[in-house]
Amino acid sequence: MTQDALPAPRALPQGRAWYRSGRSLLLVAALAIIYAYGWRVTKIDLPALLTGTRFVKPFVVDLVRPDILARATQIQEARVGVTLDRALAPEDFPVSSSSPQIEVSPRVAATGGKITVTGHNFRPRTSGVVLWSNQIGNTMQVGTFVTDGQGTFTTTVTVPEIFLGPAGGTGARQQVLAHVEWATGPLRPSKTALIVGEKIVETVFLALMGTTLAVLLAVPLSFLGARNLMARNPVGTSIYVLTRTFFNIMRSVEPLILAIVFTVWVGLGPFAGTLALALHSVAALGKLYSEQIESIDPGPIEAITATGAHALQVVRYAVVPQIIPPFIAFTIYRWDTNVRMSTIIGFVGGGGVGFVLQQYINLLQYRQAATAVWAITFVVAAMDYFSAKVRERVI
Amino acid sequence: MPGAALRVEHLVKVYPDGTRAVNDLSFEVAPGEFVVVIGLSGSGKSTLMRCINRLIDPTSGKIFLDDVDITALPREQMRYHRRHIGMIFQQFNLVKRSSVLTNVLTGRLGYLPPAWALLNYFPPAELARAMGNLTRVGIPEKARVRADQLSGGQQQRVGIARALMQEPTLILADEPVASLDPATSHSVLKYVEEFNKKDGVTVLCALHFLSLARRYGTRIVGLKAGELVFDGLPTEIDARRFKEVYGEEAVEVEIA
Repeated sequence: MTQDALPAPRALPQGRAWYRSGRSLLLVAALAIIYAYGWRVTKIDLPALLTGTRFVKPFVVDLVRPDILARATQIQEARVGVTLDRALAPEDFPVSSSSPQIEVSPRVAATGGKITVTGHNFRPRTSGVVLWSNQIGNTMQVGTFVTDGQGTFTTTVTVPEIFLGPAGGTGARQQVLAHVEWATGPLRPSKTALIVGEKIVETVFLALMGTTLAVLLAVPLSFLGARNLMARNPVGTSIYVLTRTFFNIMRSVEPLILAIVFTVWVGLGPFAGTLALALHSVAALGKLYSEQIESIDPGPIEAITATGAHALQVVRYAVVPQIIPPFIAFTIYRWDTNVRMSTIIGFVGGGGVGFVLQQYINLLQYRQAATAVWAITFVVAAMDYFSAKVRERVI
Repeated sequence: MPGAALRVEHLVKVYPDGTRAVNDLSFEVAPGEFVVVIGLSGSGKSTLMRCINRLIDPTSGKIFLDDVDITALPREQMRYHRRHIGMIFQQFNLVKRSSVLTNVLTGRLGYLPPAWALLNYFPPAELARAMGNLTRVGIPEKARVRADQLSGGQQQRVGIARALMQEPTLILADEPVASLDPATSHSVLKYVEEFNKKDGVTVLCALHFLSLARRYGTRIVGLKAGELVFDGLPTEIDARRFKEVYGEEAVEVEIA
């Protein structure tokens, strides 16, 4: 074919520019209104991201140094009585000459006054704190110090405003404590790590028990919710519709809300969480199972029925092999999802690691909170990997 | 085991949606015949086959298998009769996730107590029988392989081995080679022919290719809209007869 035999390229039809079309403009206007309103109601405040950095910084910093390993600590403590009322003599505590001891001067002081604290026989070159304690045991940190090479220190503290008790009582008798603490011995799992570890195990088992309970209920229910088995007569159809409605309603109730209901019902703790996960999972698994039953290949059922097999044998050899592997895959996936959910369920008292995480956050113990966050991350990632591997194998 | 005699009398099947799939069909098959059923898709071939083993209940008419009216049998007795009717499918209908051996063994379920299924128990004699049938169709080495790992031709041979487990007197083959290539089609049909010739099993086989029908059939039955339009020897089917079965526009396609 020669060059000039080719048809001349036809000009493409010129469409109108989009901004000339009334419908497009209307659409743009509608989107603008929707997003403007969305921006307002969600109170989007981008500068807060900057101004808030100083609040989040300690948390982020502590996130990279979770409380996992710790040494055993040793403590030295000494106390001495002081009084805020001249009429009451300060208490004296027996001390041996070799143990840590402190002296204060003056021993009679007034709120806001300065007193000097001198300590002896402490561990050399160790930091410590000076605490003020009243008769009912309320303590308050009033100063810090570092002991010198001989284990002595001198520091000046201000008498704090502290509860003195009713007038005429002995509440004006108070104590000054010096407290030295240092780490010793090898690194070992910290108390936090042990608590979080225990709670993580509880979380995994909470999810396991919830999933298992759910499977026991969901398997029989899923047959009732399979259209190809049930929707053959009016009774069957109504059972099918009821089952599916139950699945759909229960699936849309968050496990968190179910957990609140169950904590009221059976009390705080992992049992409430187990029940909440189980109920939600029955619906979620039931729907997945039913859909799997609906999608089985009818060919093998026909073929095995044609051999003269009994209905029981047909179910065992034509239906079961088709549904078992996907059932296992769905169940493992559900367990994996439930481990993730049970961390949240702890926040409302449903047991598991979420409970301690919430406590740490509320007490501003960010290093401990970081331990829990990392533990959750690792366990969820491990479960995710494990469930993916298992599903790969069975399908 | 000698083949079964089959007699179909005034068979009618009307589906709930009003489709008249088989309409007053009558014919007889003598023991040991290889009857090829030809006809367009929807001409009633599959419905006829499924009426014979009562996977579908006929609307009216009678079907006699060795002079037993199977349309009158109650469900449980029909189950015992089905054991002697092997069936081979276009889509093989194997349980894809199960092993080849298990698929073959399912052909024997009708002879075993149903409760054994709960334990997945098969007696050693049945395992040996299954291996024997797999050897007959030439794939004993595939026994432990998952059924979906096999090629189409091999899967159909598993389907045949499954039918053989029933020790059938009649084999119903519903377009057994329609999903296979020409070379594989021949190898599969040769096994069916062998059982027909050697064991005397009566065969009713739906086929689409006239060349295959002429090559394997001892007799050809033509269906059109659920009615019998041809019944004769393979040599008798010529261009005019062909157009009677398949319609005026049809052109015969050869398969090597």
